Amino acid sequence: MVSRTFKTFEVTEFNKSSTLEHEPFLKCIISMNSAPVIICLTCDAFHCFSQGDPNWLKPRGVEQRNEGLRWLREHRRASLGGASEQGIVYFADDDNTYSLQLFQEMRNTQKVSVWPVGLVGSMKYESPMVKGGKVVGFHTGWRPSRPFPIDMAGFAVSLHLILSHPDACFDGDAPQGFLESSLLHGLVTMDELEPRADNCTKVLVWHTRTEKPKMKREEALQAQGLGSDPAVEV
Amino acid sequence: MPKRRDIVAIVLIVLPWTLLITVWHQNAITPLLSDATQIKTEKHKCDCSSPGRGIVEVVRTEYVYSRPPPWSDILPTLHVVTPTYSRPVQKAELTRLANTLLHVPNLHWLLVEDAPKRTKLVSRLLQDTGLNYTHLSVETPRNYKVRGDTRDPRIPRGTIQRNLALRWLRETLNVNTSQPGVVYFADDDNTYSLELFEEMRSTKRVSVWPVAFVGGLRYEAPKVNSLGKVFGWKTVFDPHRPFAIDMAGFAINLRLILSKPQAYFKLRGVKGGYQESSLLKELVTLGDLEPKAANCTKILVWHTRTEKPVLVNEGKKGFSDVNVEI
Repeated sequence: MVSRTFKTFEVTEFNKSSTLEHEPFLKCIISMNSAPVIICLTCDAFHCFSQGDPNWLKPRGVEQRNEGLRWLREHRRASLGGASEQGIVYFADDDNTYSLQLFQEMRNTQKVSVWPVGLVGSMKYESPMVKGGKVVGFHTGWRPSRPFPIDMAGFAVSLHLILSHPDACFDGDAPQGFLESSLLHGLVTMDELEPRADNCTKVLVWHTRTEKPKMKREEALQAQGLGSDPAVEV
Repeated sequence: MPKRRDIVAIVLIVLPWTLLITVWHQNAITPLLSDATQIKTEKHKCDCSSPGRGIVEVVRTEYVYSRPPPWSDILPTLHVVTPTYSRPVQKAELTRLANTLLHVPNLHWLLVEDAPKRTKLVSRLLQDTGLNYTHLSVETPRNYKVRGDTRDPRIPRGTIQRNLALRWLRETLNVNTSQPGVVYFADDDNTYSLELFEEMRSTKRVSVWPVAFVGGLRYEAPKVNSLGKVFGWKTVFDPHRPFAIDMAGFAINLRLILSKPQAYFKLRGVKGGYQESSLLKELVTLGDLEPKAANCTKILVWHTRTEKPVLVNEGKKGFSDVNVEI
């Protein structure tokens, strides 16, 4: 699936829990050269395509996620309407941790569903605030005035909404923390959000990060031409 | 009146396509999940020739994936020992590891908390997974605990917990009557491929394999000669250790554990990197080691580490609702 060591590590992180393999009717689009993954819950098989090296001036993953959206729109255009539009789009970075229950929670998303995310925003968790079954605000410690102060892992979008708004995409020029809003503001209003995870009281996904592995001895050996066998895929 | 050769020709042409379509259909639909194994049998009739002629009937059995897989009386049991301790990422780590373990047949998860008693967080998590598990706890004495957040290799984190698991196995299982098994020490922040668990299942005494991201290298690995015997260690850090191998790089046959009840991880006076040797030298010699993972040329386990999360916005008094479990 991947060829370079760095990419192998990234993709392996995503498969860390083999979480996705528990999920039925899962189509997974993986953008090469990137951390983020777009998942669409449909009956289709596995798709994989390559995106050129990311422009590092933009937030990581923007081009890749947008490429995934483009692919979905082009692919679905070929099969018009009906069952082909049933599906959910979820942006799952490869170093987060996902409970299996999360995928069940997002499955009946009508427009955009939301839930808490653990260990993000320098907090134990960030979460939509729910009253009377409606989202009325957001529990966050950083820039709460954002249109949607929610992490990428904290929402899912119905495929139908993606297809019916062909211009909606992530804006790579958005200020830090506004990337999610740059997509969502074109799709939904706050009161249309559908709270999940027990009215947003349970944490079912965690914004974990993997440490960069310490390879000082490897670097020293490579400087002497004695590095470990590169044919052994790590 | 169709001739016999016409009928035979039609069947020979149609049959492969029928089988191909059936296989494609089976692979295209991911099996549904349920907690109990269900076996569905489907008959597929295809009237693919002239009416009344050449009806092909295909009987297909569809296995519904269950989580965890049904227990087998034939497969050796994998006793996976995981020490764990409370910290913000604990639930995330255990969730991720559980998601991996749920794929593995005949697995018994021995989760040992570093705590005075079993916590509700871990108890609930274990119950919700549906895994076969044993939940233990033992607190590391203060003078052995890591100070602050330093990962001081001189203080062997998890040792007391792993030893408790060994003791539990010896007190609970009988060397003569128990189902064959293999013991593996799996820390909660590493990454394990599913293939690794099947590699270790055939362990007769102690099996070994490479581990990525340890010892400051891309990977450390046993050295294996042309006879398939381990004769040394590909490592920079103290390669002359009796067993220069990470905790994630070996598994032990249960019978060996049960038949040598004095063998434990040494707690006191253990130099950094020697904890594994302190147990293995009681059980096996270098020449007895069984290399796995294609003679130790494939990486099936990675010594990943999760970053400590930044929680500065919680402030001194805490910002988030403490009743929300993370």
